[in-house]
Amino acid sequence: MSRVADVALVLEGTYPYVAGGVSTWTHDLIRGLPHLDFHIVTLMPPDADLTMRYELPANVVAVTPVTLQRLARGHTRVRRQRELIARLRQPIEGLVAGGGLEALARVIALLAPRRAELGQETLLDSREAWNLLVAMYEARYAETSFLDYFWSWRALMGGLFSLIVAPLPRARVYHTVSTGYAGLYAARARIETGRPAIVTEHGIYTNERRIEIAMADWLFELPLVGLGIDRPALDLKDFWIAAFEGYSRACYEACDEIITLYEGNQAFQVADGADPAKLAVVPNGIDFPRFAAIERRREGRPPTIALIGRVVPIKDVKTYIRAVARLRESVPEVRALMMGPTEEDEEYFDECKAMVAHLGLADAFTFTGRVRLDDYLGEIDVVVLTSISEAQPLVLLEAGAAGIPAVATDVGSCAEILFGRSDEDPPLGPAGAVVRLSDPEATAQAIARLLTDADWYASCAAALRERVHRYYQERDVMTAYGERYARYCALPDRDWRAPATEEVA
Amino acid sequence: MAGIGFVLRKLTRKDDLLGILQGFAHSALASNGPWLFTVLALGGLSLFAGGAGRLSALHEFRVVIIYNFTFSLVLSGPLLLVLTRALADAIYAADVRQAPSMLVGATLLMVITQLPGALWLYFGWAEFSPAVALLAVVNLLAVGTMWVVSIFLSALKDYRSITNAFLAGMALALAAGYQLADTSTGAGLLLAFTLGLVLTISMLLAKILAEYPYRVRHPFRFLRAFRPYRLLALSGFVYNAAIWVDKWVMWTAPEAVIAPSGLVTYPQYDSAMFLAYLTITPSMAIFMMIVETRFYEAYIHFYRELQRHANFARIQANHRALVRTLVDGVRNMMVIQGTVTLAVILLAPQLFELFRIDFLQLGMFRLAVLGSFFQVLVLMLLIVLAYFDFRGPVLTIQAFFLVTNAVFSWLSLQYGFAFYGYGFFLACLASFVFAYIVTARFLADLPYQSFVRNNQSVAVV
Repeated sequence: MSRVADVALVLEGTYPYVAGGVSTWTHDLIRGLPHLDFHIVTLMPPDADLTMRYELPANVVAVTPVTLQRLARGHTRVRRQRELIARLRQPIEGLVAGGGLEALARVIALLAPRRAELGQETLLDSREAWNLLVAMYEARYAETSFLDYFWSWRALMGGLFSLIVAPLPRARVYHTVSTGYAGLYAARARIETGRPAIVTEHGIYTNERRIEIAMADWLFELPLVGLGIDRPALDLKDFWIAAFEGYSRACYEACDEIITLYEGNQAFQVADGADPAKLAVVPNGIDFPRFAAIERRREGRPPTIALIGRVVPIKDVKTYIRAVARLRESVPEVRALMMGPTEEDEEYFDECKAMVAHLGLADAFTFTGRVRLDDYLGEIDVVVLTSISEAQPLVLLEAGAAGIPAVATDVGSCAEILFGRSDEDPPLGPAGAVVRLSDPEATAQAIARLLTDADWYASCAAALRERVHRYYQERDVMTAYGERYARYCALPDRDWRAPATEEVA
Repeated sequence: MAGIGFVLRKLTRKDDLLGILQGFAHSALASNGPWLFTVLALGGLSLFAGGAGRLSALHEFRVVIIYNFTFSLVLSGPLLLVLTRALADAIYAADVRQAPSMLVGATLLMVITQLPGALWLYFGWAEFSPAVALLAVVNLLAVGTMWVVSIFLSALKDYRSITNAFLAGMALALAAGYQLADTSTGAGLLLAFTLGLVLTISMLLAKILAEYPYRVRHPFRFLRAFRPYRLLALSGFVYNAAIWVDKWVMWTAPEAVIAPSGLVTYPQYDSAMFLAYLTITPSMAIFMMIVETRFYEAYIHFYRELQRHANFARIQANHRALVRTLVDGVRNMMVIQGTVTLAVILLAPQLFELFRIDFLQLGMFRLAVLGSFFQVLVLMLLIVLAYFDFRGPVLTIQAFFLVTNAVFSWLSLQYGFAFYGYGFFLACLASFVFAYIVTARFLADLPYQSFVRNNQSVAVV
């Protein structure tokens, strides 16, 4: 390694190989802090396409892709292999049982000194590894499908081992952009280098895994050949969830600061073992001057509302359409826009069009397709968001900067954006309304109030613009991370057992 | 977010675990069936021609047939095993449209690889009349075609058709032999035998084309299968070489005979060996039955429950049941075959008297019978290992047999006539002990072997 980077960003399945929200955020962050060097470590699945989707900024010194779960072959046997693998059992069981950083440190202590020799032959395919797998199975999961356990073990433990034997570039601070495997890697860096680690969670990784695993019924069938029909006390879903909980606990313990986009995520983090004293919120920001400069054109047009987003089920466009139908009873001249690409889910789009026709909204409702937001914002009065899931929707902020209040469902950080965070001082007041999921009646009422009560409209518009101005500016995000990086880079090396918050505070 | 979705997908690849195909095991049996056929056909025609009093014609015929079988089996071995496996894969994947193309490709490959050597041997090196040389070459290609064709039927498990075709072919050969034996050269007998073969092949072909009515395209595409199955190809060569190598060694004995054509054989030794081989027919039948019924059930049960998400305790119980089936089967077989072998050894003088066989062969014959007893046990163990797709151990055992059979035969040659046959017997005995240890070790370890060591999905890419 030529030189020590200032920041190692640890990413899982995203930048610079996969385009998306987190990747764009990462790209902007790096470009926004040109005075710092970044080393990118990206964990990728086996056989992933490693084509760069972004032009790397000049301050990226290197990109190290790490293939998850794929280990080099390694030596066929290593010295004292039996003893080595046998001693692994306790710490890896401990890690999966929530043993956290201590357990991870013990795994690393066993494997790190012999990293060059260890690989798939020893850690996954050896007779000793098989015995370890069987022992772990029999200790907790003896009633479950052995075939599925076998693959689960290889995926989860293979993931763990692949991270511990992977190269570890030197950096002054390790910043992981999720928990999970990336978080585990950052925890390893914390232990092995003595440098600080921080984590930023956009979504809550462990929670996403819980949902994914809970829905993966086809993966974890119950044994069909057993006599009992009762579910076993523990099934393989528990194994997967326990592993990810264990990994994220180790990450939380390793990190000096646990950052997320909005307060709503913090309860999950605490539930997964995050120390409340380490929590912080750094929301995503927008280019406030650009949107604030958009001219409002109120004259000579009907009242106009818009849902800005892709036409896909997760945005629940149908509830929006139903709400428009209700809204026409109180605001007959209203014009409704659905602004965003329609081609992602053609079938859903067709259903939406059919619903518009069926409800007799053809003259009032327009699917604009993909458009330039700046051209439209001047003529929109209320932004509506009926999504069933969101993290931190930027459209609310962009519209807010342009002086447009909103009605949104109570998902992600919508309530925080519209009502302010718990520590907002002074309180700026409500910026619209938050409604329940798939409730067209309440949505229509909330929109109607904004369209018909001029005072209410004015106070909401002003509150949102001011809130965005104060808390959600792009440059503030850069400042927030720039300051943090400067602070952590300056810290001396510390043993991983040293309390994380002491020096930082 | 990306994350673990990709991790979970790996689970769906578990199908590979049952990439094990019984067709492969059948090929071992099928490749042994023709061995029996060789012996029976030779025996029948010999009796015939012997009766007609044309000993030189008979001798010329026998030499050609022995050379054709030995080279055909050894040279076609790799092709035959790989072809069997490729065909079994196609059947497993429920895509048999390739079958006629594979048949054509394999036959062409066999002809291309064996024709030059055959021309050189019969027209160049050896001194035969053009008619005999031509018939010898044609016969070699017919024998090779017969192996290829019979694989397609054994993959269909249509043993009845195979048996019928061979019986009809043999009947024609004998009938034609009766008419043609009375010539001074081996040409008549060769023609008769080749005609019989052609009839057998035609009957088998008719059956195959009825089963696989597809067009031939890309006949050489199956050659790709040589890459993943190169161990298997090597197996095909090593095993056939192993069962012939003692004869080749013994052809250098002082008692061996150089025919007028210049080709060497040792008729006394060869015929003792061929006759002895007939005694293992009961074991073959019994084992076939065990494999098809109890063992196959336990085998399928083991893998099926494993795939149906059985827990480990259950997998272990099925594993024990599977091993018990095998141990019981082999024990029963040993008792029955042991009785047959013992009876033949004790009654050998009377049998020799009855069939007017030269008593010079008696000692070699008794050793060959005893050796065949162990050889058939080795074969059974090989088939069992093949069922579990343990290609490495299979090849190791075959190589062990090849080396011991060559070395021990050479040693017996050094000690002189009284020790002829001991080489083969000791090689079979040693190979059995070795094969037993290897098989027991792998079977005891079946879960680990099938999940990790022998699992394509687990392999480092």
